[in-house]
Amino acid sequence: MAVHRGRGVAAIEYPTGMNQNGDPSQAWIKVKPDGRVDVFSGTADIGNGAKTIQSQIVAETIGVPYDWVTFDNSNTDSSPVCTGTFASRATFVAGKAVLKAAEEVRHKLLEIAGLEMEASADDLEVVDGEVMVKGSPTEKLSVADVAGAATYGHGQLITGTGAQLKPYAEILDPETGVVSSPPHSAISYAACAAEVEVDDETGNVRVLKLIQAYDVGKAINPALVEGQIQGGAIMGLGLAVLENAYPYYPSVEHRGYGFGSYYSPGMEDLPELETIIIENPSADGPYGAKGIGEMANNAQPAAIAAAVHDAAGVWITELPITPELVLKALEAKAEPRREGKLVAFDDEISVNTVGAGISWMP
Amino acid sequence: MNITLNGVSRQISSPPLTPLLRVLRNELNVVSAKAGCEAGGCGACTVLVDGRPQRSCLTAVGSLNGAAVTTLEGLGTSENLSAVQQAFVHHYAAQCGFCTPGMVVAATAYLDAGGSDDKEAIQEALGGHVCRCTGYLKIVNAIAAAATQSEFDLTITAEEPNVVVKTGGR
Ligand code: FES
Ligand code: FES
Repeated sequence: MAVHRGRGVAAIEYPTGMNQNGDPSQAWIKVKPDGRVDVFSGTADIGNGAKTIQSQIVAETIGVPYDWVTFDNSNTDSSPVCTGTFASRATFVAGKAVLKAAEEVRHKLLEIAGLEMEASADDLEVVDGEVMVKGSPTEKLSVADVAGAATYGHGQLITGTGAQLKPYAEILDPETGVVSSPPHSAISYAACAAEVEVDDETGNVRVLKLIQAYDVGKAINPALVEGQIQGGAIMGLGLAVLENAYPYYPSVEHRGYGFGSYYSPGMEDLPELETIIIENPSADGPYGAKGIGEMANNAQPAAIAAAVHDAAGVWITELPITPELVLKALEAKAEPRREGKLVAFDDEISVNTVGAGISWMP
Repeated sequence: MNITLNGVSRQISSPPLTPLLRVLRNELNVVSAKAGCEAGGCGACTVLVDGRPQRSCLTAVGSLNGAAVTTLEGLGTSENLSAVQQAFVHHYAAQCGFCTPGMVVAATAYLDAGGSDDKEAIQEALGGHVCRCTGYLKIVNAIAAAATQSEFDLTITAEEPNVVVKTGGR
């Protein structure tokens, strides 16, 4: 009886947004007379950082400090439509909608600034809250002054709207599945390598280390995306070895009855984590971003199952990989062959051969 | 009956068997403690009772006459965050934030009791606190940092060890 170590790897690719079905997001932005920016977008922030990311996109695109931006998604009447936070789409689709709205705002801002500064809007740029003549940074006017002039001098509101939609695609040929428009261009790629320890006496699997490499397109907020990848890792660990809605099979009456019978990972299950963020930009996401929300917990179960095979020589094809499943698999594998008077363990499948490379015979 | 909530004496009119969590949220309008499971299993409702961490969902308010209850609101203000709160900000130790009040309260109790920056000790002390978003690593790192440091730069986020960013592609 021993504890075996093993390693496994799994890779995944994942599309962003709802392909071929249409999932609109819209946004509108207005600039207050003091230059501060209000963003109205319907994206719910469920911990994915939608508010932060979209505010960053707006600040960057207009050219004002991040803390000038107020993001309001509190009211479904005042915010335009956003299909929602799902399908890893909040940054990729809704982020693109606010980006377009912010571009319109910058355009309008430069027009008014052009009137104020007697310059062509094309010759102006916005840098850190100030409008300046390109190449001549001493000639400048603060965004606050431009917004004030728009309000009180020109009788205008600096505002912009933006919308993003992948239109509904017709199926052209049901045989081949060819559709009338191509899918979103943002496919994210990732891989996870797992190191585990399998106790062949108890069947217990302990995940020691997860190394993850995620192609996020562009890490608009590295700290947030790190958190998403690390959180996904632990959720994937839970799916792999712990979480089960029906822990007390065989019949449905024995399903879990509450929080205490659902084993989600705790702090003590935390393995060593290594995160590699790869920026391989998408063609049409905001600043090249892709979405990785949902894929973040998909590669780990497969990598962990492969690591269990590497460690103990058994493939577990059901999740979660409970001690019971491991022990049953080991038992089935260790079933001896009878050759006349001889009782033999099969070389290839015997757990006793793992690592040692020799078969055990009585 | 009375409790001292975050230093202020408050009169309670809820029946004595009402969970403290419900009293805080519904009667006293103090909402940092979260109702995660209301069965003692997640830690999101953790508050300090006379300095010790306690699950407010399982604590009958009638057992607390005269006790001092501290919630997240009692640890610091947004202008004057406690060391643990600053560490959580600096290490970006939250995603949705639902578990965060319980984590911060429990971490405060752990450190007040002399807890060290030893990661395994932190994992054991906060083992009963569930977080579904962060993967715990940044939370553990934040608490370890708060064990040895009381001021954090809130304008930047801590560099995580074991994170590599690679820019490439087309
Ligand atoms: S709500 Fe009290 S422990 Fe979950
Ligand atoms: S940050 Fe969401 S549960 Fe911990």
